[in-house]
Amino acid sequence: MPHDNYLYQTRDIKFQIKEWLDIDKILSLDAYKDYYGADDFDAICDVNYKICRDVICPANKDSDEIGMKHVGGNEKAVISPDVFKTVYNTVIEAGMGPGFGDRQVEGRMPLYWYAPILEMQTGASPAIVMLWCLTQGATTVLQYNLSQELQERFLPKMYSGEWGGSMCLTEPGAGSEVGAVTTRCFPTDTPGLWKIKGQKCFITTGDWDGVENIIHLVLAKDPDAKPGTAGISCLVVPKFWVNEDGSLGAWNDVTTTGIEHKLGIHGSATCSLAFGENDNCYGWMIGDGPVDGRGKGMAQMFQMMNEERINTGIFSLGAFGAAYYAALDYAKARVQSKKSTDPKGPSVRIIEHEDVRRMLLLQKSVMEACRALLYSSYYYIDLSKEAATEEERELAEDFFMIQNPLGKAYISDMAWQMCAEAIQVHGGYGFMEEYAPASLARDCKIYSLWEGTNFIQSQDFTGRKFTMKKGEPFKKWLAEIGDFIANKKTPEFAAEFAMMERAFASFNSIVDMNAAWTTTNKQLKQLFATRIMHAAARVICGKLMLDQGLLAASKLAELGDSHFDANFYKGKIASVKFYIMNVVPEIFGTEEAMKAADTSAIDCPEDAFM
Amino acid sequence: MKVLVCVKQTFDTEAKIELKDGKIADAGINLIINPYDEVAVEGAIQLKEKGIAKEIVIVAAGSDKAMDAIRTALAMGADRGILVQQDTAADEFARAVALAEAIKAENPNIILAGHVAADDGSSQVPTRVAEILGLPHVNVITAVEIAGDKATCTSEADGGTQVTEVSLPAVISSQVSWNEPRYPSMKGIMAAKKKPVATAAAAAAENKVKILEFSLPPAKAAGIKLEDEPEVCATKLAEWMKNTVKVEVK
Ligand SMILES: Cc1cc2nc3c(=O)[nH]c(=O)nc-3n(C[C@H](O)[C@H](O)[C@H](O)COP(=O)(O)OP(=O)(O)OC[C@H]3O[C@@H](n4cnc5c(N)ncnc54)[C@H](O)[C@@H]3O)c2cc1C
Repeated sequence: MPHDNYLYQTRDIKFQIKEWLDIDKILSLDAYKDYYGADDFDAICDVNYKICRDVICPANKDSDEIGMKHVGGNEKAVISPDVFKTVYNTVIEAGMGPGFGDRQVEGRMPLYWYAPILEMQTGASPAIVMLWCLTQGATTVLQYNLSQELQERFLPKMYSGEWGGSMCLTEPGAGSEVGAVTTRCFPTDTPGLWKIKGQKCFITTGDWDGVENIIHLVLAKDPDAKPGTAGISCLVVPKFWVNEDGSLGAWNDVTTTGIEHKLGIHGSATCSLAFGENDNCYGWMIGDGPVDGRGKGMAQMFQMMNEERINTGIFSLGAFGAAYYAALDYAKARVQSKKSTDPKGPSVRIIEHEDVRRMLLLQKSVMEACRALLYSSYYYIDLSKEAATEEERELAEDFFMIQNPLGKAYISDMAWQMCAEAIQVHGGYGFMEEYAPASLARDCKIYSLWEGTNFIQSQDFTGRKFTMKKGEPFKKWLAEIGDFIANKKTPEFAAEFAMMERAFASFNSIVDMNAAWTTTNKQLKQLFATRIMHAAARVICGKLMLDQGLLAASKLAELGDSHFDANFYKGKIASVKFYIMNVVPEIFGTEEAMKAADTSAIDCPEDAFM
Repeated sequence: MKVLVCVKQTFDTEAKIELKDGKIADAGINLIINPYDEVAVEGAIQLKEKGIAKEIVIVAAGSDKAMDAIRTALAMGADRGILVQQDTAADEFARAVALAEAIKAENPNIILAGHVAADDGSSQVPTRVAEILGLPHVNVITAVEIAGDKATCTSEADGGTQVTEVSLPAVISSQVSWNEPRYPSMKGIMAAKKKPVATAAAAAAENKVKILEFSLPPAKAAGIKLEDEPEVCATKLAEWMKNTVKVEVK
């Protein structure tokens, strides 16, 4: 049986949102101050939790075992399991779906509260959550770039969930190399209206039967387009035409030619789409059309992709979080073997064995560290949109941009590793489909692949993000970490601060080597990009965790040992110490390897790979 | 038509109950609307959606924490609330006296409640409220039709269903199968903050029940696992039931 029993916990989520991050600062912003108080988060989080537990998670069984089916035709080419409609409608009616995408509406929810909502929903079903996430992402591009008139035509029904949305970049010959897209757009006599022709593949929720219409954002090139990404434009292409009054018109010649049979997320249709097979597919250009063969499509699509990247981090966290809670539950029940300290005693529950505790605390601490990285990144997005001054907005945007590839790539790499740990805790039973980690492991593998593979993220981080705006934001970001380590020391965490000091020095040396290779050895730079990305994630996560540790220690001192919540803070302190003393030190290995600068992976003749 | 719904705040049915100093330790335990009362709230909202109810008033007797239960009901769609402030140690009699007093002042046409509370499970309060107010009471309903000043209620009965016609005002308490309560929406949660909730002191009433002791059910003993041919398993199982569990065959 795939994962269908919701064991997710919300205590750390509430700690990070309400106690650790400065919630008062966000709630005092103009956009929120007349609407929200800190306790509203509890009400929203609790309703979302109930929906996850009672509605979404039980449907994950059908999502995995039945999945989406391609039946062809122009109307409803992809059929979902029956239960999906109930789940979708419940989420939409509760306002926990694409409506969050509306960032102009009065009374909108603080954006960083969206992170835990999405995380918990993914923890309930990694596939089902995709039914509304892509729609929300698409609205981001449309509301900031589309003319008012077209916004009114498309957005209300996307926010309400009646219509879905998709992002169409990938083609068989254009994956990581987006600039290689061959889909074409041709101007018509109507300004803004273009004819579309081309094939896309791997399009998530490119079609399904729970919505009346799908609004595709399609990357295409005009006849005079420059080569590469510069020539790309982005168009809104509905599956069914949308008339001026918002009503549905005729089918717009968008055919779902098939869906993929995948390792995981079976309940999310991954579609192959043909645009204009009958020469009758039209779309609206987003923003001004291309000028001299230069389109704005990549920059526009990046507004969606930046959010989808952090959301991929959030999905990863939700998936491996669910696997951790399944492992924890199992470890408390499974009796096997005697204790190492009492070999003649009774057999005990496996949570009493040292190595099982190691695996559990690894999962718990990585989960909390990843949550810290993602929530703080989301907090930056919120500030980048809503903060009072331009200066604050810009700094927040820069810090978000720096952390985003880490949030996507480190956390999706962790998802796969942590699901493996959850399987390991289960022993042989973990290999069985009856236990949750098996399906979660299959589901979570996608996160290191889509939205730009993790190598592409690493390349972006070690290339663009180190040097953007002449490297000033990256220097500031590093300085914040350095200042924290230098100035916040307490005796209780003396060993952890000392470890962070060494790790930070090591990371600085990694940054210097990377900078030197930019001119002296481009290949080494590529060879180490993934590892540098991991090292950076460990440093920032170490800092954020230590910050949480300081808060937890002061709360524990205030509440006392016998307070009902004391165990939460003790658990937090254990996570902080474990992460810093066991996970962060992997940085030193990367530094050593970079110093050794081994190039055998490049030097090895291709024919010698045998 | 005014519909009033009695709502009790209880422990989350998923919560792990622990005893401390002979009492249920409630610190840190998530509190929710009694799930049976949630059905009554949903029933009231559906009556409003059908145009039968004009106003839905939520009444809860309990500590200040019970305000959260009222807000949840308001977020689902009720119009206003009344918190009757009362010690959580009040028994069913004292509870019913306090609720009846508040209800009297409101003079509603229909009083809805869950038929039982998920925590103490005593199933007394709606009946007692009806008795105090001198109103008819229909219990464990799974459907209700309102026409004029009459309600036709379908309820569970041994081996079948029972249809009762009752004149209003009346107390009607729900069975869970009446409906599927909706989840409060984001919009509803925000709207609920602005809906009025009055507080009132509970009418004085002495408890009639004295709680002597709380104890947890004994831990479940480990089961057995039989792995063999079906007929061998059946024989072994029968022996185990006879000799170990001591099931008596009459
Ligand atoms: C389930 C699923 C859903 C998807 N949903 C969508 C969607 O909704 N919309 C959409 O547009 N796309 C979607 N995709 C496509 C996805 O984004 C691409 O698969 C991804 O970008 C990688 O492209 P590719 O598969 O062609 O791999 P390739 O680009 O062929 O990459 C293969 C390997 O080569 C590496 N590589 C590539 N270039 C370099 C380089 N320069 N240096 C070093 N290594 C390199 C990659 O890191 C990778 O390890 C989806 C894919 C899947 C599997």
